[in-house]
Amino acid sequence: MERELARERTLLRRKVSVAAVLTVLVMLSSLPHMLGLHALPFLPLWFTSPWTQLILTTPLLFWCGRDIFTGAVSAFRQHSADMNTLVAAGTGIAYLTSLFTTLFPQVLIAEGLPADVYYEIVAVILTMVLLGRLLEARARGQTSEAIRRLLQLQPPTARVLREGQPVDVPVSLVVVGDLVQVRPGEKIPVDGEVSEGSSWVEESMLTGEPTPVAKAAGDAVIGASMNRSGSFTFRVSRVGANTVLAQIVELVRQAQSSRTQVQRLADQVVGWFVPVVIALAIAAFVAWFLISGNPVLAMLFLVSVLVIACPCALGLATPTSIMVASGKGAENGLIFRSAEALETAGKLRTIVLDKTGTLTRGQPEVTDFERLAGGVLPADTLLALTAALESRSEHPLAEAITTYARSQLKDSALPAVEGFEAVAGRGVQGSIAGQQVRVGTPRWFEELGIDTAALQPLVERLEAAACSVAAVVVDGRIEACFGVADPLKTSSEAAVAALRRLGLQVVMLSGDARRTAEVVAAQVGIERVIAEVRPADKSSVIRKLQEQGEGPVAMVGDGINDAPALAQADVGIAMGTGTDVAIAASDITLISGNLTGVPAAIELSRAAMANIRQNLFFAFAYNVAGIPIAAGLLFPFTGWLLSPMIAGAAMAFSSVSVVSNALRLRNFRPARLPLATT
Amino acid sequence: MLLLAATAPLWRTIDQPVALKGFVAMVGLLLIAWQLWWFLGRHGGGVAARESEAGLQEITIIVDGGYSPSRIKVKAGQPMRLAFHRIDPSSCVAQVIFPDFHKTLDLPLEATTSLELPPTKAGVYPFHCGMNMVRGVLEVK
Repeated sequence: MERELARERTLLRRKVSVAAVLTVLVMLSSLPHMLGLHALPFLPLWFTSPWTQLILTTPLLFWCGRDIFTGAVSAFRQHSADMNTLVAAGTGIAYLTSLFTTLFPQVLIAEGLPADVYYEIVAVILTMVLLGRLLEARARGQTSEAIRRLLQLQPPTARVLREGQPVDVPVSLVVVGDLVQVRPGEKIPVDGEVSEGSSWVEESMLTGEPTPVAKAAGDAVIGASMNRSGSFTFRVSRVGANTVLAQIVELVRQAQSSRTQVQRLADQVVGWFVPVVIALAIAAFVAWFLISGNPVLAMLFLVSVLVIACPCALGLATPTSIMVASGKGAENGLIFRSAEALETAGKLRTIVLDKTGTLTRGQPEVTDFERLAGGVLPADTLLALTAALESRSEHPLAEAITTYARSQLKDSALPAVEGFEAVAGRGVQGSIAGQQVRVGTPRWFEELGIDTAALQPLVERLEAAACSVAAVVVDGRIEACFGVADPLKTSSEAAVAALRRLGLQVVMLSGDARRTAEVVAAQVGIERVIAEVRPADKSSVIRKLQEQGEGPVAMVGDGINDAPALAQADVGIAMGTGTDVAIAASDITLISGNLTGVPAAIELSRAAMANIRQNLFFAFAYNVAGIPIAAGLLFPFTGWLLSPMIAGAAMAFSSVSVVSNALRLRNFRPARLPLATT
Repeated sequence: MLLLAATAPLWRTIDQPVALKGFVAMVGLLLIAWQLWWFLGRHGGGVAARESEAGLQEITIIVDGGYSPSRIKVKAGQPMRLAFHRIDPSSCVAQVIFPDFHKTLDLPLEATTSLELPPTKAGVYPFHCGMNMVRGVLEVK
């Protein structure tokens, strides 16, 4: 594909050069006529003859412009009309008229008209169109630069351990389970998990995070990231199309082949654009023939209208901006799933942030363990009972409690649990050695009718410190409680402030008790909190916000637990973990898991949509203004008559300007905040 | 230099017979009507994909200045395979994009490239070239 495009560009460049030389000669040849003189002293008469111009223009038309004409003909046979149709019709008519004049000048002279030829118009228009195509092809090549750069990130070979000996093998031959060695300054070839050694790894090319990340045994490494200081060996976990890099490339490609709502309008216009322009051109010819009776004048208007119209600018307006913007996003670790996600992100009014894992690290730690006055069991027994029960649960709080309890216990053996049951949003229960043990929220125990009065002061103190409270109840008796806190990510506060500066209403969503949630919200500067929401209710909270007219609403969450809410939101933003890219329910994935990516994505979206609007406005305005001028609408008032040559040049450069404008997006920087580290 | 300098000698009115003027106007109008019909009118009801025994619907589309056929009829709820054979050297048609399926297909010259699409709900799904100038429609019924 690349090679074919390169070959085509070389041929096009050659054609443009030949066309340019011929055009200069034709222009020189027609100089006396253009100046209204019969002859010029330094040009021999034979050189200024129409026959010379015919000889110079013919190869230009049939060799340089060949693709334009064959393209127009095959499109015509398919009942479709495009750019080629307009240019071929315009230059073809000018060429045939001039040919007629060259062969039968007496016909025009008898009519009282000068026997002028217009080969220079044909030559200039074709050269301009070809030059425009060359520039456009070059610029379009740059729009997909981001993908090309991503693909080049992967090193060609990997140093695989085969029977203990390092061997360089092509990356395509690396399989899952291989052990791969990486030395300082080398790129990591594929995804895997460090098995030996440690190092600092720079992942900025994939996640947008500028600071290197520490890696030691057990940590995941991403293919195409750069190893800085140490040496290590890792076990390959993903190769080929399953690697993070391949998934990113695939997602960006997908986004680039989807389309926005605004593009649908342009699409509809493009569909009937060319036939309408042809109709206008014929109408201009008829009108000017009726007004002036001068067929040559009428022909010039016809040609001008045909060649000034530029449906390409309309067609290119949105796709080029989307290409550049989604590529730019990928560079910053922001993966847009579709053009529509890119479009909607800029229109967001409300942004809902999940607390756990989004604002906080998502790895809760036990900060308090308190035994209550009415309790009878010793601390060790309580910890063992709790650990036995909680180790069966997958809830993040349970994990924190289990870890804590195990670290406090000398004996690692835990008692057996019978009839284990997890009650969603409440807690867990089971029986251990004949005792009914429950660990869960104070609210649950209130619902169960257990007296929680002794718990209240503790709960208040812990919640004021943004801790979640889990109480331990044995046989209906409150024995102890745990305070578990989830530390905030360092980037959260800056990200929330940036979102507010962008004019968004920021809402925090949490399953925690209201007081706990409010404390966290206050720490990061969020005023509106929706607390005590069970996981299953998250999507209905989003729906409510949408129904209340606060939309479009974005939901930022961790992608797996929050999938229904992400899908319900107008834009679902998933916080990646660096290794998990293709999160199905999300519209945008932040590879780094850094919340500052959210304002950056919104800024990029706004910049892209502004760029698209400029392009569409320019393309529409250009055609709406250009066509009437070319048709001679201004002529009766100002005496202005647009030369077909100028019309051709304007057309060629209008599509180049659209692509160039889209390329400005490459300079986009999420300016308002530095992408801080987590 | 925005405007044609040599306007003056060109701007010459000629008295044309009314019959000729009428004739030119008539021909012009007919030409307009005909080309609008040719480019915008519906031509042919589209071509239905043939069905293999496995239930896969298959069709070959020739890419030459346009898509032939450009209107493809398939049945809803069955997988399909669209084979594009590109003979047009213009880079314009080197890509075909199915926006509703988020698919872009690179079409090498003088070769057949296939795209497999999953079973789809009834509807009209347009596809087009990289520059959105050459277009076709997938009609799922």
